[in-house]
Amino acid sequence: MRHDVRVAVIVASELSMVFGNHRALDALDLEVHSGVTGLVGANGAGKTTFMSIVLGLRAATTGTVQVLGLDPLRQGAELRSVVGYGPERNVFPDEMPASDFVKHLAEVRGMPRSEARSRASDALWLVGLGEERFRALGTMSTGQRQRVKLAQAIAADPSLVLLDEPTDGLDPVQRDEMLALIRQISNDYGIDVMLSSHLLEEVERICDHVVALDAGRLVAQGRLDQLVGDVEGVTLELVDAPDLAGSAEAVAAAIAATGLEVTRDPDTMRMDVFGGDTDAIADAVRDAVADSGARIGRLENRRRRLEDLFEAAQ
Amino acid sequence: MTASGESQILDRGYRRFEGQRSGVGGAVRSLSWHTARGVLGLGRKARYKIAPAIIIAIAFLPAVIWAGLAAFLGGEFFAEFDVTPEYSELAQQSIAAIVLFVTLVAPDALVRDRRDGMLSLYLSTPLTRVTYLISKIFTVTGVLAIIVLIPTLIYLLALTFASFGPDGFGNWMLTLGRIVLSGVLASLVFALISMACSSLTDRRAFASVAVFLVMFGLLTVVGVMIEVGDASTNWRVLDPLNMPFELISRIFGARGEYPEISTASVYLANGGWASGSLGLIWWRLRGAS
Repeated sequence: MRHDVRVAVIVASELSMVFGNHRALDALDLEVHSGVTGLVGANGAGKTTFMSIVLGLRAATTGTVQVLGLDPLRQGAELRSVVGYGPERNVFPDEMPASDFVKHLAEVRGMPRSEARSRASDALWLVGLGEERFRALGTMSTGQRQRVKLAQAIAADPSLVLLDEPTDGLDPVQRDEMLALIRQISNDYGIDVMLSSHLLEEVERICDHVVALDAGRLVAQGRLDQLVGDVEGVTLELVDAPDLAGSAEAVAAAIAATGLEVTRDPDTMRMDVFGGDTDAIADAVRDAVADSGARIGRLENRRRRLEDLFEAAQ
Repeated sequence: MTASGESQILDRGYRRFEGQRSGVGGAVRSLSWHTARGVLGLGRKARYKIAPAIIIAIAFLPAVIWAGLAAFLGGEFFAEFDVTPEYSELAQQSIAAIVLFVTLVAPDALVRDRRDGMLSLYLSTPLTRVTYLISKIFTVTGVLAIIVLIPTLIYLLALTFASFGPDGFGNWMLTLGRIVLSGVLASLVFALISMACSSLTDRRAFASVAVFLVMFGLLTVVGVMIEVGDASTNWRVLDPLNMPFELISRIFGARGEYPEISTASVYLANGGWASGSLGLIWWRLRGAS
């Protein structure tokens, strides 16, 4: 393990990127710390632009960024020798065996030839492709190709790995395996990881930190356990049945009449109840449900999810 | 660790690398080696080896024949019958090999990286667009120089061993220098023209057609302009197929195929083709993500 929690891996200050009339990044001030960081946002939020600036491939219009204490523009070659990158694009030299592909990129990232060969083999074993390492990339499935991308990103012993949509095109089982591998890379090998994704659920599952972007603006950043999780109040979901039509409105009105706050999605039977102590909320829910004849489908502590952060930013 | 009987598979785990990284120089070397192997078909399926093998055979055939004649017949035969070509003419005897190389083989150096997504991966390593381009130009020029340069060097050595080479050490070294300089410069011009055409597409077949059209299309257009349209012979400077050969002749102090064109114009034409091609390659590379 070599995570150093005292040092910020990426520090951006007033970082903006403008393409013509389009502001891809808008005055970002953020710090990324050791561990697994999720860079989340919808397509077009600025995730790939941010990654390309972090790699030193683009110059920001204004602002500064430091990655591993280095300036990506002025010290780009030095930086990129200790940063692994897995691109979103799933295109490879089809005829090349996976081991040759990983070895070649390890060499380009500065490994001596003999070291690159053994590290390529090790990296492919670590991502579960040890037996398949001599197969041509063109014969591999999407899941195997994603693993090869991960192997080439870690083969040269990077300090930081940037992964652009690493679960793109994977089925649920393959996605779980890929996320477990990414977690393993950080936990067991001490490599910091930043992964970009538009799937908030997978970021919530494996990330320590999150940077949330929306149309180039910073929506939230920080430790995931501080941004999401249990908050005051409960989430109540009623059973939706023809003989219970209008019960959700009645329950919401009855709870609101007690002085508690109720927010309800009109398209579902869910509502959040908050604004009082636990006992008061429990009593109000019990009475409102009993009086209206509704039935409870689910009652749980109210949680804040990543999508709530985006909704709040709208 | 897993074990079965006395056999063991050891889990090596993940190892830190504490050694010295090779940096930009190592990245350029590695990419150059990889590119050279790729264009020569090494480590690839047999069908990718066919064209390079044929090209090398064609390129070396004249020099090998002359070397054989020198070995069996000796310098006296050459002196009596005066049949040996000038050093500057030997590259022209390999024109078929050069054309095949720049149309069929060289485009692979750029086209594959764009098509296979390797370019974006390379730019995430210590390589930059500049060092990537330097590596590619260096490699394509180097491999082409094997075709342009080495046969002439074999010819020089064959004549030297047959006591029919340049007189004296000074002349010999001057000839050697001219062979190397002219071979490298002509290879560079051909390589850049081929790479410029290749930079316009992600398909090797299209790149080959583009190189062929530029080479032979302009040769034909210029020929028609001069022969039919009675245009000035100076328009020959627009002929990218013959100008590099003319450059070789001028470096050897000969007038070449087109004596009516001044030596300065020949140098400028080759410089123009090289810099124009380089500009096009760079423009295309800058736009690549």
